[in-house]
Amino acid sequence: MNTVVSQGVLRSLTKGSAGWNLARLSLTSVRHGSFKVQDDKDFLEKVENSKEPVIVDFFATWCGPCKALEPRLESIMAKRHGKITLAKVDIDSMGELAAKYEVSTIPALVVFRNGKVQERLTGLQDEDKLSLWVDKVLQTK
Amino acid sequence: MAPIGDGPDYDLVVIGGGSGGLAAAKEAASLGAKVAVLDYVTPTPKGTRWGLGGTCVNVGCIPKKLMHQAALLGDAIEDSQSYGWQFSNPENIKHDWGILRQAVQNHVKSVNWVTRVELRDKKVDYINGLGLFKDAHTVQTTTKQGERTITSKYFLIAVGGRPRYPNIPGATEYGITSDDVFSLEDSPGKTLVIGAGYIGLECAGFLRGLGYDATVMVRSVVLRGFDQQMAGLISAAMEERGVKFLRKCVPKSIEKAIDGKLLVKWTSENGQEFGDTFDTVLFAIGRRALTREMQVEKAGVQVAGDGEKIDAVNEQTNVPHIYAVGDVLYKKPELTPVAIHAGRLLARRLFGNSTVQMDYENVATTVFSPLEYGCVGISEEVALQRYGEDNVEIYHAYYKPTEFFIPQRSIAHCYIKVIAKRGGDQKVLGMHFIGPQAGEVIQGFAAAMKCNLTMNALMSTVGIHPTIAEEFTRINVTKRSGKDPNPASCCS
Repeated sequence: MNTVVSQGVLRSLTKGSAGWNLARLSLTSVRHGSFKVQDDKDFLEKVENSKEPVIVDFFATWCGPCKALEPRLESIMAKRHGKITLAKVDIDSMGELAAKYEVSTIPALVVFRNGKVQERLTGLQDEDKLSLWVDKVLQTK
Repeated sequence: MAPIGDGPDYDLVVIGGGSGGLAAAKEAASLGAKVAVLDYVTPTPKGTRWGLGGTCVNVGCIPKKLMHQAALLGDAIEDSQSYGWQFSNPENIKHDWGILRQAVQNHVKSVNWVTRVELRDKKVDYINGLGLFKDAHTVQTTTKQGERTITSKYFLIAVGGRPRYPNIPGATEYGITSDDVFSLEDSPGKTLVIGAGYIGLECAGFLRGLGYDATVMVRSVVLRGFDQQMAGLISAAMEERGVKFLRKCVPKSIEKAIDGKLLVKWTSENGQEFGDTFDTVLFAIGRRALTREMQVEKAGVQVAGDGEKIDAVNEQTNVPHIYAVGDVLYKKPELTPVAIHAGRLLARRLFGNSTVQMDYENVATTVFSPLEYGCVGISEEVALQRYGEDNVEIYHAYYKPTEFFIPQRSIAHCYIKVIAKRGGDQKVLGMHFIGPQAGEVIQGFAAAMKCNLTMNALMSTVGIHPTIAEEFTRINVTKRSGKDPNPASCCS
């Protein structure tokens, strides 16, 4: 499975107008929601070349704080009605990518806009702080 | 920083990304040198492999200490009941190997990552390939990207060692070593540990503490090279906790029985044959340096009389631009902090105009057996041999940790010993401590010994009460006096 549109995003999308939903889903279902980055090419296509901002979650399977952050992040993304995409990068399988973007401490949330790093947030956050941060990211043009 | 003209690719190429190699690499890089580290882990016969960081991080000190801690927590659960803690079903408390293994491996992986990031930040090139000498100035390696040769002004051999297997049928097919035990998928079950050095004792100790049946097979002596009185107390303390010892025995063969269990045959001192079945057989019979694997002879580097290790002078091999640190060094302590210190000082001498040499004397160490043993300086045997009985004073004492009273934990093996010169102000030559937190206790005294600690200074130090470390400040009975080293007792 290449991309996973989170259940929350799907639910929130179906609440809106049907026509809009269909259009959004058919055009950008791959991009919106959250998905796991498969390789460098995947990252280039869906993150670096994205026209819309993408939050990249650099994580590792052995990292406890990363595990704790995940559901909080998913919940916040679901509440944003698919306005922003979450890309998850496993640093053990994509060490070069982590190095390229100077990720050292994890979890590291890195916002990409027009292929450039716009914002960073490192470490486990509570949901309120995370929510404010995502809002700030969305407001920035 | 790119090589100019025909110069070598690097200022320093380190072969082996363990404690010593990494310390040297990072220090050299921060002094402006262009550095590469080659690190590659050949999988064990069982297929176990691991990441960057070497033995200590992956299959040594770190996972060992965590599993030792897991075992100690089991003791604490037991003790806590006499302190008033209540469990609904205390008899049903059990340990889950899978959870521990995963937690330990997760921690190890996090250290691998931090190590990788440190190299990146210091601009040290990390090459995930086995380094072989092609000649004295060239190292050859094969990575995922293919084969390459690397030249350097200096080389550092820091390949460390790997566990030995005995030459008996079934050893590599069915046996495991400390390279495998910390990541075992299935719980180890009834385990035979062959070898009674510190690695064997520590493994048997934590396995017993986690609830497994554990047996140690001893060929000759327990803890060779350590003070033998202390070694005897350690093995006695382990026996008291249920670890079995097969003394003066050597393994003959391992076969797999129909039920999947391992049938081990061994002979005793008088040639009598014995056998038993185990779920796991762990070899801890020593470690061998990996010099052969890297073809040191092609660089002209000579190995020591044992055919494996490198007898370097101030970390320099017989080939002046090739150095060595860590467990590959002949007759040097095989300890992570020793390798780190030596590696760092070497880098400063090579690239920082330093003249400071490594001092391998008075390095403290600790055996993380269930009841720990920490020591610094020389053993009683070495002291007597070096200075003669008339010139050495041995102070000793049994003691009772306050915390042991309430749960009525055995105090039979809580013992300390200080070895000092007999004349003058009685310079301390060795300090030995058996008890809880031995490493934490002995570390500070190691600093004191670096400052030429004397018995007078030790005895005029005021202790912290109630601690176990203060026992060293209270010590006053000499072996020569024949006085009872046992503390006063209210009841026993």
